[in-house]
Amino acid sequence: MEGKVIVVTSGKGGVGKTTATASIGAALALEGKRVAIVDMDIGLRNLDVVMGLENRIVFNIVDVVLGKCKISQAAIRDRRIENLFLIPASQSDNKDVLSPAGVERVANDLRKEFDYVIMDSPAGIERGFQNAIVGANEAIVICTPDVSSVRDADRVIGILYSRSLTPKLVVNRIEPSRVERGEMLSYEDVLEVLSIELLGLVPMDEHVLISSNTGTPLVLQNDSKAGHAFRRIARRLNGEADLPIEIPSHRSSMWKKISKTFGFK
Amino acid sequence: MFNALFKRFTSQKPSKNTAKKRLQFSLIYDKLEVNDTTLTDLQNDIVAVISKYFEIDKDALELKVKRDDDVSALVFNTPILQVKRKRAS
Repeated sequence: MEGKVIVVTSGKGGVGKTTATASIGAALALEGKRVAIVDMDIGLRNLDVVMGLENRIVFNIVDVVLGKCKISQAAIRDRRIENLFLIPASQSDNKDVLSPAGVERVANDLRKEFDYVIMDSPAGIERGFQNAIVGANEAIVICTPDVSSVRDADRVIGILYSRSLTPKLVVNRIEPSRVERGEMLSYEDVLEVLSIELLGLVPMDEHVLISSNTGTPLVLQNDSKAGHAFRRIARRLNGEADLPIEIPSHRSSMWKKISKTFGFK
Repeated sequence: MFNALFKRFTSQKPSKNTAKKRLQFSLIYDKLEVNDTTLTDLQNDIVAVISKYFEIDKDALELKVKRDDDVSALVFNTPILQVKRKRAS
């Protein structure tokens, strides 16, 4: 059976694409799937440091596409999470070094060896982005609740549709207290503007920076709300489509438990 | 502090409403802007349809996107030269 190639993209940079890619990939591996995360941001690689694998790079995705090494030589195995692999980007090359045809061929090869291949797209809609989506069967669009991110997401969604990909949306960095005060777009607002299927909602979380500081997977930190949200996203991707989407709330979990017990909403 | 409370309950509209409205407009605009050929095609189609019923001045017509505070509208402006006689079919 062949796996799925999922591209994670956003248009705008700095919305949490890399964290989302690393977390969703790691969470899928925790579900028992064989996962390859591919950094397609050629020349500006970051997934390796976020995942804490920067010291173990030998070959990269450019080497694979150009036929300089085998997939198994470039894929770095994560020692903390079983069945999780990273194929890093090249740091020295230019984005133009890859051809869409070459990437598509490698994506198809990867599908034969992994259940999920997660492509981390670079920001923008130029060549690097085009290369990241060329071999994809599915697409995830990440946005934050601010005007520039939502607008760029809309543009990217349009391009994905034109490639017969129907993207699903993850709204990242939600701050429930600000949403409640009317200072931040709610996820409903974002959905209404973009009108695509929702995959998950991720709250703003201090653990994200801390886990990238140390290069440890966010999804292994049990007290991380964002990590928890990404694990649910992975379960929804992995066949549990009926798993309810949790709406981030600013009440403490203690209060939530109490209100649940007493039947408040 | 009272002032802040007062403000909150009376005049100040949540800024997210403004954000949403501005977004919705800019997305419509982005799409209209992006594709010039779409607008030209649309214009040709509209001309073809109207020409079935009216004789119009094809050189004087204009197709514009108008933006007001609450709505944006597609405005098609053409002088009508003559109404065509309907033929019994």
